Amino acid sequence: MRGRWRVIEAVRKSDRFGFLFSLPYVIFFLAFVAYPLIFSFVLIFHRWNIVTPMEWIGLKNFERLFHDPLFGKAITNTLTFLLIHIPLQIIIALLLALLLNSKVKMRGLFRAIYFLPVVVSGVAVTILWQQLYSYDYGVLNALLKAIGLPSVPWLVDASWAMPSVAIMATWKNVGIYIVLFLVGLQNIPAELYEAASLDGASRFRQFRHITIPMLNPTVIVVVVLSTIGGFSLFIEPYVLTGGGPMQSTLSGMLYIYNQAFYFGHMGYAATLGFVFALIILAVVLIQRRVIETEPT
Amino acid sequence: MRLFVATCGIILFSISGCSQERPSIGQASDAVELTYWPAPNAQEVQLADSLVRVWNRLHPEVRVRMQPIPVSQSTEEVLLAAIAGNTTPDVCSNIWPGALHDYTRAGGLIPFDRLADFDSIITSRVPRDLLETFRSTDGHYYQLPWKTNPVMMFYNERLFREVGVATPPRTYSEYYEAGGKVTRDIDGDGRIDVWMGERDIRPIWWQRLFDFFPFYIAASGGKTLFKNGEPSFNDADAVDVLGFFRECYGRGLFPRTFFQGGDPFLLEKKATNFSGPWEVAHIQKFAPHIKYGIAPLPVPDGHTGQVYTSGDFKNISIFANTKHPREAWEFVKFLVTAQHDLLLMEICDQVPVRSDLLNNPLFADYFRRKPVMVKFAEQAVYSRAVDSAPDLKEIFDAIAQEYEMCAIYGRKSPEQAVRDATDRAQFIVEWNK
Amino acid sequence: MKITLKYLVLVLGAAVFAYPFLWMIAGSLKPELEISNLGLLSENYTLHSYEQVVTKVPIGRAFLNSIIVSLATTASVVFFGSMVGYALAKLRFLGSKALYLLILFTMMIPFQITLIPQYILIVKLGWTDTYPALIAPTMMSAFGIVLFRQFFVSVPNALIDAARIDGCSEWGILFKLIWPLSRPVVITVGLLTFMSSWNEVLWPLMVVRERTLMTMPQIVTIFTIGGEAETQLGSLLAAATLLSLPVIIAYAFFQRYFIESMASTGLKG
Repeated sequence: MRGRWRVIEAVRKSDRFGFLFSLPYVIFFLAFVAYPLIFSFVLIFHRWNIVTPMEWIGLKNFERLFHDPLFGKAITNTLTFLLIHIPLQIIIALLLALLLNSKVKMRGLFRAIYFLPVVVSGVAVTILWQQLYSYDYGVLNALLKAIGLPSVPWLVDASWAMPSVAIMATWKNVGIYIVLFLVGLQNIPAELYEAASLDGASRFRQFRHITIPMLNPTVIVVVVLSTIGGFSLFIEPYVLTGGGPMQSTLSGMLYIYNQAFYFGHMGYAATLGFVFALIILAVVLIQRRVIETEPT
Repeated sequence: MRLFVATCGIILFSISGCSQERPSIGQASDAVELTYWPAPNAQEVQLADSLVRVWNRLHPEVRVRMQPIPVSQSTEEVLLAAIAGNTTPDVCSNIWPGALHDYTRAGGLIPFDRLADFDSIITSRVPRDLLETFRSTDGHYYQLPWKTNPVMMFYNERLFREVGVATPPRTYSEYYEAGGKVTRDIDGDGRIDVWMGERDIRPIWWQRLFDFFPFYIAASGGKTLFKNGEPSFNDADAVDVLGFFRECYGRGLFPRTFFQGGDPFLLEKKATNFSGPWEVAHIQKFAPHIKYGIAPLPVPDGHTGQVYTSGDFKNISIFANTKHPREAWEFVKFLVTAQHDLLLMEICDQVPVRSDLLNNPLFADYFRRKPVMVKFAEQAVYSRAVDSAPDLKEIFDAIAQEYEMCAIYGRKSPEQAVRDATDRAQFIVEWNK
Repeated sequence: MKITLKYLVLVLGAAVFAYPFLWMIAGSLKPELEISNLGLLSENYTLHSYEQVVTKVPIGRAFLNSIIVSLATTASVVFFGSMVGYALAKLRFLGSKALYLLILFTMMIPFQITLIPQYILIVKLGWTDTYPALIAPTMMSAFGIVLFRQFFVSVPNALIDAARIDGCSEWGILFKLIWPLSRPVVITVGLLTFMSSWNEVLWPLMVVRERTLMTMPQIVTIFTIGGEAETQLGSLLAAATLLSLPVIIAYAFFQRYFIESMASTGLKG
């Protein structure tokens, strides 16, 4: 009785405009977030090609997932990608950010150039790198030949293909992290370094014990964003290699796309999406836990 | 002209209707209208237009309206959507056998064998063994074989002659031997200038319809991949076929890189091409100077008997939603008469599925004018369509992946690849039950 | 010595990031045979590759489509984002806390799970091959709302109360008072939204099949994958250049805003 009164009181006291201004988002949420989420939980138990009626198949989609060699391949491919992409990004971004943080002229210009690939469309970048990576006609192999090294089968060898994608993705995104590391570096109070210098700590020790720990939050951002990006890879394998050679660049998203739009398996595609979403959440949680508990 | 004839027809009809009993087909005042969907390409639309005009002149009481399928989507998508939405035509002549399972599962087609004169009509047109391959697993015939494009081997006569290859290779060993002579670096720049053959190295499912699938049918003597709805290609023939392509790549007869710069057969950079009748018009248009021959596909050494192949069949079906099944059947019979099969050849240069193609004097003139089509005509009754299994695309996709791993990159033995492909096909068939 | 080493590395880095674009532009202007050269210079510059692209795909139309879709999306995100952000920051109403938590929760949902159902929703609404299909699913952004709210919280309440006493409506407060104070966050949210909407390609590939309605990155993707380029390297590079040009030009003028938008959001992560 009193509870109901409280609610009515609260509603009466509420600013009507609060409801009014929030309403558009609530409608949007119901239509484009809540409904799809709920519908996905329905889809994963059905077989459906959109055109003919849905068929209930219980857990058969999950059974199929466990026996699906391509699902496992997509996961190992993504891991390969991340294992190369993340360390490469951190090292390069940190290096360039440190250099930019010291007294350099034209810092703004350098920063602008490093950031350029970030804003350009992924499609354009992929087309460009497809030509750079070309075995017979590509610039990279031409460079290698010029210094006497053998050509690398960048996109035509199953062991090189995903690393090539990882290198291209690093080139495209590292600008973001250079900027973030710069901000992080500039936020470290100068006093910390001064105090450490007075204590006689070498530049290297200062780096290890002040810089790195203070950059931890930024590193978490790099790792988490790169991981999410790695699991969302689509246009790069789609345009660059079509998922090959031998499915070595098949990404989760590309597989979902093929299952849904090439073969018409909406239910199975939804199941794949569901499982990948769970994996992403789990991985990100683990990463945050691991990085945050590093000794400072 | 049409309007005049129609008006005359209506006047005559109503006069006759007034003084006599009502005619037995439908009501006198109701004109039956049928919708007919041909394939969306220019020649078939032209053919359909001609045929429909003639029909409408002869049968004013049963009008046929021709509607080409929208080009932006695949015919299979459009037909499935039409079946689900009850917006089907009465007749369609662009039925791909591989999609038949999807159409019948949705209850979209009528069984021809329920029609009284189906058996007599069809057996006079199509040989029994070929017809059997179009029977569905429930015993009915939902499609009438109309035309086919058999896959055969085109070969460049000059490239063969230059290195002393006198006749086109008949077996795998002959193919390797010819390939060894043909594939070479002519100008000494370290790059091979002429290849024996070339295939797209990406594992695209329909590319297998031009290598693995036709070669398997050739090697197995006319057997396709499925039997009674179950995958049945875990055998020596499949192993031989994969082994063949593996050898070709292994010996360097096919390039292992993506070919850039245009069609290699037209540029005379490759000596053999596995393709169908459409290639004839293609070559005529872009490289008419090439002297080429057509031969059956190579078969494993020791193979005896007729060489079969795959054909890109397109068939005719009547949809279950039709309100006039008998009239629709009359129209279908009209489409497949000898005169109209001749028109099909004249306008589209595609091969109708008839056993009497080379005996019937009606067609003699056409073959005299286009001798290259004789080879395809000979092969037509010895070609086989894809099976109508569920998820055929995905099954071929699985085969394409095994082909890529085994033949192109040599990472799997043919035995293992065939085993894995059939396992995956079996799994997909099970999942669809 | 150390200083020259430092500059060497920085300049090398700049070359690595900038040179490929220069090569791409140069390659699009060179005849086919010279494209694999490392250098930028050629004796035979030609627009042939661009001719190929323009005649084979409706790239101008695609550019227009991208403009329409991105502008509409950005306007919507900024408009509604500021509304909800203001409500959450300054207005007291039942459920405001729950709504805020809901919005934060939304940001954590990986898109992989909602992508296919959202596509099916579009199909069911009959919106395939329409502008609403491209605009509606991203017309509001939880992230944008959070940024707006965060910024608005710092606006002094006294200002708002004074405006209310003067008889200003809530609409007026939002658009006449708060917006002029919010240039940085409006620019940040606007720019980020515009950029991500412009470069989005997976969603258009799913909901649009009609060529005249495709967005610019989408049409270039189709051009590359679909084989119309017929493996002519020059046309591929020309298509990529045309796609990048609008953004590079915008970037040349506004790069500070781009970079600072990204930097300011990174803090929240």
